[in-house]
Amino acid sequence: MSDTVQKLLRPNGFVDLAWPPVAAFIAIVILWEGLIAVFEIPVYILPSPASIWLAITTNPGPLFGHAGITLYEAVAGFIIGSLMGAVLGTVFAYSKIIARGLLPYVIAANTIPVVAVAPIIIIWFGHGIGSKIAVTAFLSFFPLALNMMKGLQSYDRTIMDVFHIAAANGPQRFFKMRLPSALPYVFVGLKLNVTFSVIGAIVAEFVQADKGLGFVIMTSYRTLAMPRLWAAMLMSALIGIAFFALIALLERIFVPWHASAQDNR
Amino acid sequence: MAEPQRVPPPAPEAFVSIAGLSLTYGAPGQVLVNALQDIDIAIDKGQFVSLIGPSGCGKSTLLRIIGDLLSPSTGKVLIGGSEPREARLDREIGFVFQDSALLEWRRIRENIALPLELRGTPKAERERKAEELIQLVGLDGFQKAWPRQLSGGMRQRAAIARALSTNPRILLLDEPFGALDQITRDRLNMELARIHEVTGVTVVLVTHSIREAVLLSDRIVVLTPRPGRISRFIDVDLPRPRGLEVRNDERFDDLVRLGNRELEKGYM
Ligand SMILES: Nc1ncnc2c1ncn2[C@@H]1O[C@H](COP(=O)(O)OP(=O)(O)O)[C@@H](O)[C@H]1O
Ligand SMILES: [Mg+2]
Repeated sequence: MSDTVQKLLRPNGFVDLAWPPVAAFIAIVILWEGLIAVFEIPVYILPSPASIWLAITTNPGPLFGHAGITLYEAVAGFIIGSLMGAVLGTVFAYSKIIARGLLPYVIAANTIPVVAVAPIIIIWFGHGIGSKIAVTAFLSFFPLALNMMKGLQSYDRTIMDVFHIAAANGPQRFFKMRLPSALPYVFVGLKLNVTFSVIGAIVAEFVQADKGLGFVIMTSYRTLAMPRLWAAMLMSALIGIAFFALIALLERIFVPWHASAQDNR
Repeated sequence: MAEPQRVPPPAPEAFVSIAGLSLTYGAPGQVLVNALQDIDIAIDKGQFVSLIGPSGCGKSTLLRIIGDLLSPSTGKVLIGGSEPREARLDREIGFVFQDSALLEWRRIRENIALPLELRGTPKAERERKAEELIQLVGLDGFQKAWPRQLSGGMRQRAAIARALSTNPRILLLDEPFGALDQITRDRLNMELARIHEVTGVTVVLVTHSIREAVLLSDRIVVLTPRPGRISRFIDVDLPRPRGLEVRNDERFDDLVRLGNRELEKGYM
């Protein structure tokens, strides 16, 4: 047996971890298919797994095209919003007076429901993809701003003394002490943003769009094309899961020293 | 052997001279804490000095002034003729805290080399020095370990190695072994004695333990609280090098008793 196969098969290897959810998935699909056949549930209430599969596989081009648009909006908004949030969080961490002045408004803005703010942003940024990215960026902004600030303030005071004794300069303190100690917090913010960015893209598409999974969901809803609606819904979930897995992988690469990355090694 | 005597104020040629030092904590309008008052100490080059006294008597405050982490209200500290600030900027001060304060995101070798990295020492030179220090403090095999994989005693070994990385002329330690169990503590005491012997660095150690102070020091400075003052100097005339067996020595017990008697005054 090759090394890789052995790794996959050993306790806590991939196979060991993956088989229960896979088995559960197969069981649910069979039960689902069976219930629909037995109780003759109409397709607009609950489409069968087979009909959803058909909705995905017959003429898959357009559906995957829409999924690609939503993925693009989510990722672009995630990156822009997270970057801007990181910058503001850093400003807050370094300037008490700016933080005291603006933090209450940032927290207040964070509580505005995205559905209320999306139409305004779409008026500002137009009917293209740009406005969907802006809505997504708006949602991704706050979690990172707050976590970045908290993270940069979380450094150990004795480590600060160590840097003082070693006559470190300002940039060295930032890049070698405060930023590394902030990384676990940054990843908390990024993981929140993953979920928010998919929500933001789809909500913005609900408000106004002619492409994307949110658009597919709205049009399928109007025509009661339920298998297609379910297909779009499942694809948006898959986008979120894949995106989350990517961030979790980056966390392991960039924060290998932290407990959350070590305990599930 | 004569009873140790109160020692007169520092001679100006001492390596470290602390003269007329006092420090009062608290901004105007707040409660003022007179943490240190009239402190005069002279330390010779290569000497091992311990500061001992009940908690709150200003030991950490005094050590932090020497290390330029605090400025005194009055008085002056000179290290090899320089102000603490100059000495610090010349990387002549090593500081070890009770908490090892290792950077969790760096492996042990990179932790030890941190002060060199901050000074801009080339990588090859840093690694050579870190390796040398790893051997010195007995951490061979842990070069690539993460700090969280190390025990408390090993973390303090790494902290000592880090403090020594720039070849400081003075090593300041603030209760470095206070959180360790007795056996680990004994072992690290011996390591510290050996490091002092081979490097010839001047050491100021803050400790709670009179036995630790007698075991390691050339001279013990006993402080009393409120305000923190020097109540007496005890010169330790036990021969060097010392092993743990020196604790079976009668002279060792005499010095411990003397120290304890002096310390008890501070608790009244
Ligand atoms: N930052 C501070 N502000 C006000 N008082 C302080 C501060 N740090 C220490 N003190 C007070 O100064 C005295 C000496 O403290 P410290 O030097 O830490 O004592 P030790 O290290 O001997 O236990 C104590 O009474 C302590 O409460
Ligand atoms: Mg103290």
